[in-house]
Amino acid sequence: MKIIFKLALSIWVAFMLSGCERPPIETVQTGYRGTGMEQIYNPRTLIKQASLNQAPAAPDAASADGPKAGKAYQNVKVLGDLSVGQFNRHMVAITQWVAPDQGCAYCHNVQNFADDGKYTKVVARRMIQMTQKVNQDWKPHVAETGVTCYTCHRGNNIPTQVWTEPKDRKYANSLLGDLAGQNIATKEAGLTSLPFDPFSPYLKDAAPIRVNGNEAMAGVGANANRASLKQTEHTYSLMVHMSESLGVNCTYCHNTRNFQSWEESRPQRVTAWHGIRMARELNNEYLTPLTDIFPANRLGPKGDVAKVNCSTCHQGAFKPLYGAAMAKDFPELQVVAKP
Amino acid sequence: MSQYQNLFTYVQPVGPLHEGVDLPRGDDKRLGTPFLVHLLGRIGNAQIGPVYLGTLGLASLIFGIAAFNIIGFNMLASVDWNPIQLVRQLFWLALEPPPPAYGLNIPPLAQGGWWLIVGFMLTVSILLWWARTYRRARQLGLGTHVAWAYAAAIWLYLVCGFFRPIMMGSWSEAVPFGIFPHLDWVSALSLRYGNLFYNPFHALSIVFLYGSVLLFAMHGATILAVSRYGGEREIEQIVDRGTASERAGLFWRWTMGFNATMESIHRWAWWFAVLCPLVGGIGILLTGTVVDNWYLWSVKHHVVPAYPLGSPVVVDPAILGVKP
Amino acid sequence: MSMLSFERKYRVRGGTLFGGDLFDFWVGPFYVGFFGITTIFFALSGTMMIMWGAAMGPTWNPWQISIAPPDLSYGLRFAPMMEGGLWQLITVCAIGAFVSWALREVEICRKLGMGLHVPVAFGMAILAYVSLQVIRPVLMGAWGHAFPYGIYSHLDWVSNTAYQYLHFHYNPWHMIAVTLFFATVLALSMHGGLVLSATNPGKGETVKSPEHEDTFFRDLIGYSVGTLGIHRLGLFLALAGVWFGIVCIVVSGPFWTGAWPEWWGWWLNMPIWRT
Repeated sequence: MKIIFKLALSIWVAFMLSGCERPPIETVQTGYRGTGMEQIYNPRTLIKQASLNQAPAAPDAASADGPKAGKAYQNVKVLGDLSVGQFNRHMVAITQWVAPDQGCAYCHNVQNFADDGKYTKVVARRMIQMTQKVNQDWKPHVAETGVTCYTCHRGNNIPTQVWTEPKDRKYANSLLGDLAGQNIATKEAGLTSLPFDPFSPYLKDAAPIRVNGNEAMAGVGANANRASLKQTEHTYSLMVHMSESLGVNCTYCHNTRNFQSWEESRPQRVTAWHGIRMARELNNEYLTPLTDIFPANRLGPKGDVAKVNCSTCHQGAFKPLYGAAMAKDFPELQVVAKP
Repeated sequence: MSQYQNLFTYVQPVGPLHEGVDLPRGDDKRLGTPFLVHLLGRIGNAQIGPVYLGTLGLASLIFGIAAFNIIGFNMLASVDWNPIQLVRQLFWLALEPPPPAYGLNIPPLAQGGWWLIVGFMLTVSILLWWARTYRRARQLGLGTHVAWAYAAAIWLYLVCGFFRPIMMGSWSEAVPFGIFPHLDWVSALSLRYGNLFYNPFHALSIVFLYGSVLLFAMHGATILAVSRYGGEREIEQIVDRGTASERAGLFWRWTMGFNATMESIHRWAWWFAVLCPLVGGIGILLTGTVVDNWYLWSVKHHVVPAYPLGSPVVVDPAILGVKP
Repeated sequence: MSMLSFERKYRVRGGTLFGGDLFDFWVGPFYVGFFGITTIFFALSGTMMIMWGAAMGPTWNPWQISIAPPDLSYGLRFAPMMEGGLWQLITVCAIGAFVSWALREVEICRKLGMGLHVPVAFGMAILAYVSLQVIRPVLMGAWGHAFPYGIYSHLDWVSNTAYQYLHFHYNPWHMIAVTLFFATVLALSMHGGLVLSATNPGKGETVKSPEHEDTFFRDLIGYSVGTLGIHRLGLFLALAGVWFGIVCIVVSGPFWTGAWPEWWGWWLNMPIWRT
């Protein structure tokens, strides 16, 4: 009897401890002393993370001399102003970033490189334009560090962190068990019971994220703050996603005693504000229009195209690739080409 | 120190089981043959049963079990009737109140209708149970203090699930039935209404919550410390003060300068415990109806501490006319 | 003399842990003892330092006064007085005062021939304070992780510390602790109500017996824990609540750096049912 009790106790304790880490840990203070605004890191996890988020070395710069790629090759719609040498260098880099196993044949008909038969080539063309847009017009978010295809793709055909609209329950039309968009365990909601699709309303549509009002007292009529608890949970879910994507916690941007106040927030919150708008633009202007180009097996369960959220680029790092500046080696990705 | 601390009973004398004080005519017979559980006897009484079912009890159980089943089947349905997923995701599952769009209207069954039905049935069950606690006390010739303490808890339950949603004009403000989901509701309430730590009624309720924990530790420890003098025989000590009560009182008098009596400590206990949900319910009721942002309310009332801000000062990009 | 009618016979010498007869006396209703002296010393010093800190600060508003711990950059070293050193000294005084109070309670128990349950129970509360202000900061490498001394400022610390883990309600030890806290309030209301209902049975009724108390709860829920058992239960619920509160915060940081909802991954991903 006592042995069984001890055994049960040890198993319970082992389970409770199974998810645990250990000191020493590292902390970074992000607010006034004693406020509890801190980032907490497990150095052993950080080392592993750092090794997983290395930027590949850039190939040596090619000469700008010689004929332009747009003249030398056919059906060149982007990067035509590059020299042939620069253009080919870029193609080698893209192959390494997106299709290291399949090589050129992933996008090209190797009998006729100009042929647009493979959907991947059409998509890649638009994504080059998307990358240029990010680097040129979204400096409030990406600053001078910028992005390349590798930032999202990391050597994969499809970035590992993309999102599509969640599929409906098998018995979605039944009388019972409406999920109301939440209340199951999902990775998207960070294993909370919060709404499991915070991306459609905020990173595709432009639903208001703010739920706090500017007045202490509840307003009446037109002045009333009508935000609901449901909206609050959606915002919270988005914030959980942002935090997990960057490997940070709420105090990275906010003083949680007063979440809404910008004066009490950190500058990183402004960067995040721009990041949300950037994700919306990329999803609506670049990715969603490509829906019909993709074959069915690349679309989500509801037939929508794979879209970006914060983790697509960040993948657990507060800056993608921990701030490695890849774009500087690819000036052609830093400006949107004139039409 | 090898001294018996009276934390567990080592020797359990066993005698005839107690069928309960006689009930007045008009009451039903009690249910079940009482039996002993030795392990229970190491901590308190070993006897389980008999129980009084009664009309109120039966009615309360019927409504309560019905509500429980509706919640459970909705949870099962929400994981596509997969019982393994029901167990795996149990803490995440819920029966959710209607979405905000329906206001206070009756929604479809699948979108909050079941929640309304369960809310109604559970409330009836709870109120019937309240009536039971009142009646059982009266039938035994006892005061109704337990019933009125229970009423304070019912107050908080009704504030969260009924009064406040009605005052807010929306069932969606009410609490979902579910382990993690009801915790998400707590967080969402604080996030939406400007940080509930700055709600003074919330703070006072916590004072009574922690105070209750403090008081029961103090009272439980004190009685155990004088149990060698029969301190746990509290009724006897109240009507005929013995050395247990005297030592207990003097301990606290010498420690902190004042003390309760064997009776009055139970009044302290009752009030601290009752004031926790009572005051807390007031705080919830005022949230969103009267006060929209407790932090800003606290700023208005000059209680918010100041810290040096970060530099440079951060400005809302939305008002800067920055490209959205 | 502020003595109760029956008090004189209990005021005997003895029971002291330290100091013998030197401090074995009362001042009004208060017992002094050696640890009464140390309590006064630590409590007065600590309070005066708080006052001084308030004087050096921006306000005398009691809701806004705050004495903050040092920056994390000072690690576990002594910080300059105005940069958190004052906080450190106040903490030393607090621990000194609390431990003195507990030891004084031991002396009083010994004098009254009582068990030591009360000071032991208080020890759990002291452990909670020391865990928050000493043990956890030491495990994390800096005094700056502790909470500031201020009515509303310490709540700002709670809020931010909790949000470091994105959703602190998902901390399983916090869930257990909260459950035990609410169970304690429930049990306290039931116990207080039950005793009062037996001794204040209403107009025309006589005072009732423990048999009535047991019968009430057996009728109601089929079980009555009894007069001794309820005090064991209440003490246990209260101390267990505090214990799991200690566990939940000491684990947060030193033994878990991620979001608390993510902890539940081990359950969801068990091979028998992972999706």
